[in-house]
Amino acid sequence: MRWADLFAMSLGNYGRARLRSVLTTAGVAIGTALVVLLIALATGAEDNVRRSVFSIGDLRLVTVQPFQPGANGLSAVPRTITDEVVAQLRRIGHVESMFRQFDAPLGTIVEGGDDATIRPQGIEPNAPVDRGDLLAGRHLALGDRAVAVVPGNIARLIAPSVASAIGRRVTMRIGGAVKLGSTRIGGSGTPRDYGITVIGVFDEQASGTSVRIPLDDALAAGADNRGLTPDTIKQSTGYSGIAIEADDSTNVADIVRGVQELGFSSFSLKQVIEQIDQGFGVFRGILAGIGGVALLVAAIGIANTMVMSVLERTREIGIMKAVGASPRDIRALFLAEAAYVGAFGGIVGVALGIAGGQVIERIIRNLNPRTNPGPIFVVGPDLILAAFALAVVVALVAGFLPARRAMRMSALSALRYE
Amino acid sequence: MGVPAVEMQGLERVYRSGRSTVAALAGVTMAVERGEFVAVMGPSGSGKSTLLNILAEAALARHRARRVGMVFQAFNLLPRYRVVENVALPLAFAGVEPAARHAKARALLERLGMAARAEHRTNELSGGELQRAAVARALVADPAILLADEPTGNLDSASGATLIGIFEELNAHGQTVLLVTHDAQIAAHAGRIVRMRDGRIAE
Repeated sequence: MRWADLFAMSLGNYGRARLRSVLTTAGVAIGTALVVLLIALATGAEDNVRRSVFSIGDLRLVTVQPFQPGANGLSAVPRTITDEVVAQLRRIGHVESMFRQFDAPLGTIVEGGDDATIRPQGIEPNAPVDRGDLLAGRHLALGDRAVAVVPGNIARLIAPSVASAIGRRVTMRIGGAVKLGSTRIGGSGTPRDYGITVIGVFDEQASGTSVRIPLDDALAAGADNRGLTPDTIKQSTGYSGIAIEADDSTNVADIVRGVQELGFSSFSLKQVIEQIDQGFGVFRGILAGIGGVALLVAAIGIANTMVMSVLERTREIGIMKAVGASPRDIRALFLAEAAYVGAFGGIVGVALGIAGGQVIERIIRNLNPRTNPGPIFVVGPDLILAAFALAVVVALVAGFLPARRAMRMSALSALRYE
Repeated sequence: MGVPAVEMQGLERVYRSGRSTVAALAGVTMAVERGEFVAVMGPSGSGKSTLLNILAEAALARHRARRVGMVFQAFNLLPRYRVVENVALPLAFAGVEPAARHAKARALLERLGMAARAEHRTNELSGGELQRAAVARALVADPAILLADEPTGNLDSASGATLIGIFEELNAHGQTVLLVTHDAQIAAHAGRIVRMRDGRIAE
């Protein structure tokens, strides 16, 4: 039998019991629409989260933390990042650049008053934290000493405007009691004052208390605070963290593994995103499962309709067999009819899912105009194709047993069936 | 002796119902030669229809349905297709493309005096016309043998006479025909009559 005849004949069969075909198809359409809608919702949510994660920072970045990951449920064990460790880290493959960081004890900018509590971060020039977020001035540069890049809110405490803070000499008091929010805490060691020049002001969105100072200044201040030398503090306390930049974000996993092999804990946005992806995979799976149940109900509907249809057309099947239809022709006719249910249901369902998503999105935006501007439902071409294919496959599977039943009917006893 | 189109040897069929068994066919040996027109006659229950069914089943089981053309008492046309489509149906299953199979179907309908009815639906036809369409359908794939099971059973006598005339004419052109009937007048048109009784050939 030719394909064109097969599809023409089964289309005729599909169109004959119109109400029944329409109802069965509607079942498939609703199931498909639900699958599309729920997956689109999950995709939209994932896109939104990913977008906000991407906006936080660089995917190539791995931060080495001064502790060892705790094994299975145990808490992390502190470990010292010495210069030796730094040298070992540098030997990991795909490392493009490394930046050491040492956080000095909490302190204040004296001219800013009680509220100007700071966390002095000793960093190297061009460190990832000190990039592209300036409101005024410049970033740290090689050879800088006794300078600071301060957040906007601190700048406004010590000068009338952000711009006028640049070049101002202020006193940085490290150690001793500080005010954090509304509580005063004792702080560490004896307070000591350092004269510094403000060279840059960054947007305080990143942090309202971090003050970026040269690494050597921070090490010296930390050592002073505890009555040590910078070299001994490097050995005993170690660095607060190492920022590693990979040559490419795809190699981040390799670097993370290298860091772990050295016995240090690490943090990277890339890992966070992978975890997000994993989490959303589960979320999407659950939603697709809910849609799948609707599709399963539709499949049972198809199977039921087809069983009825086979019974009703017993005589017709007998006639077809008697005039030369092979059992495979008969099966193909019924499967093609099921495929029509799946295909029409799939097309209508995908359209319904997309339209439904837009309607729901509009309603949500009307109710709450401040909703996240990213689309809530995201329907890509792969989702459209997959949903359509799923509808057809489900219909074919549902039609298989009834089709086989038709195929196996004996021609002449079918002819005697009234 | 001619070449046999169908040959049966010691054909038996036993129906079991509960404890008792009924032998519908109790050893039938016969042959239909090519070009022959044979009528199998007998009262109901004599096994004549069983004989025909076994021939048809054997042909179907071997996927050689195209080697036999079947005509039934109940016509068995598909009501949702036009007459020409019904006639062409065996060729559709044989994979013949629409233009060619419809041309052949129309030619056959014309030969059977049905040209004017080709585009009609089956519910617009009389019994005699339906059966002629069914004969056209049985012939469209050029079968080796035409099997007819009480083809005049649902027809008035005039239509029956026309139909049997068609069978005679087909046979005159070389078509092998095996006809089952209980009507002696119909059977009289055949070249040879085989009488059956109680599952056996009577003489």
